[in-house]
Amino acid sequence: MTVSAHDIATPAPVPSALPPALADLGRAMRLLHVIAFMAAGDLRARYRRSVLGPFWMTLGTAAGSLGLGLVWSELLHMDRAAFVPSLTCGLVMWYLLSGCITEATSTYWRQSAILRNLSVPLSMPPIQMLLKHLINFLHNVPVLVAVILIFHLPLGAATLLVIPCLALVAVNLLWITLLLSMLGARFRDLEYVIGAAMPLLMFLSPVFYRPSYLPFNEQFVWFNPLSHLIEIVRYPLLGSPPPGFVVLTTGLLAVGGWLLTLWLFNAKRNRIAYWL
Amino acid sequence: MARLEFHGVTVQYPVYDVRAKSLRSRLVSISTGGRIEREASGVQIVTALRDVSFTLLDGDTVGLVGHNGAGKSTLLRTMAGVYQPAWGEVLREGRIATVFELGAGMDSELSGYENIQRMGLLLGLRQDEIRTRMDDIEAFTQLGPFLGLPVRTYSAGMATRLMFAVATSTRPDILLVDEVFGAGDAEFQEKAAQRMHDLISSVSIFVFASHDIAAMKRYCRRFLRLEHGQVTEIGADEL
Repeated sequence: MTVSAHDIATPAPVPSALPPALADLGRAMRLLHVIAFMAAGDLRARYRRSVLGPFWMTLGTAAGSLGLGLVWSELLHMDRAAFVPSLTCGLVMWYLLSGCITEATSTYWRQSAILRNLSVPLSMPPIQMLLKHLINFLHNVPVLVAVILIFHLPLGAATLLVIPCLALVAVNLLWITLLLSMLGARFRDLEYVIGAAMPLLMFLSPVFYRPSYLPFNEQFVWFNPLSHLIEIVRYPLLGSPPPGFVVLTTGLLAVGGWLLTLWLFNAKRNRIAYWL
Repeated sequence: MARLEFHGVTVQYPVYDVRAKSLRSRLVSISTGGRIEREASGVQIVTALRDVSFTLLDGDTVGLVGHNGAGKSTLLRTMAGVYQPAWGEVLREGRIATVFELGAGMDSELSGYENIQRMGLLLGLRQDEIRTRMDDIEAFTQLGPFLGLPVRTYSAGMATRLMFAVATSTRPDILLVDEVFGAGDAEFQEKAAQRMHDLISSVSIFVFASHDIAAMKRYCRRFLRLEHGQVTEIGADEL
């Protein structure tokens, strides 16, 4: 029997030592090339009939940070050179986070034709969706580069920390999407709960502002886990390493979140196909 | 060497009504101590397969018969590994391909070629395998230059040709089919039957669920009857 490439069609005999949740994730990792192809196809399909293609996103982000940056820096009496870069980083990170979180709840429903007919790893649709949003994120990189050049932000060793920090955010986003996909498959109205909560969360997260700008105790913002996921990337983008407690919280969030998600995935993964 | 074994397999699934699918009513039921929950929980457990055991070996061609809702599709999905049994064990050896609902993974905005790749990859083909089979798929669909156009521009019959061609382009050891014959025009039906026949004769184990007794007798040697989630093997004359 063939294993590696034919894993989709042949649910390989589960390596007995691994719990099913990890075996499922392992199978998905071996199919990463298929998942990447599907994610790229999703994007191609979405922008097939548009002139700029996915670069509409780049344009949208550029327009958003330009418009909001100019108006809000006047309104808030902030220095434009400090406000616009911070706002752009916040917006780009927010698009990534909110895109994943909002879409996660309906991931399994949208892929139900595949899940009901083929034996694919159940962690595949969430990974595919995260990849799609990471590709989206890459399309916003030109805006970030332009802002860094225009406002002469300091470039240095700290800037390189963006990559590991972003990876840590992606690790967190993966458990968040997997968890929300499962819950969304079971509870159909979670999609609307999340949809209603996201605009509120946006204002409770440091998207338009930095935690230090707040007139009241900044501790309140740090209770929101999303604040850490935004700030950990924003610090290196603006040229300084992220503070230790942000890195620590993000790391602990990843560990705790993954333990919870794996436990739930282990217990309920067999039921997902029936929920659809 | 292909093998498919069921040992005391029981498949149960929950059926939720609108209430049970709602997080809100779930939370209300927790906060009221679960009393409303018990009255209107809206969850029913359906036992689709009960203590099913059989062994299929190389060369077995099996027809599944049973009324609507007898559990034929559930049995096929359990064979494929889409549904996991609540109890019991399923042993699979060999590469499995399924022809259930056609077109899993198809995106109507993408072109025919891109969809062939997508569906092929999902069926477990490698990129190079897809490339070598592309000519065969192109020839079978007879869609020619249409394959470069988005699938949303296809007629229903054209889309069926494409989906059928891809679904039948794998070369599995175990083939599971949930009645798909009977789509498209007469000429296509004939070609589809021929292609299906070729595929069936190339696999080691073939399982076919259908109400079409004539087709079943043509392709199958063994027959399993499903009734109330239980499987009994019957002879060809009992069909």
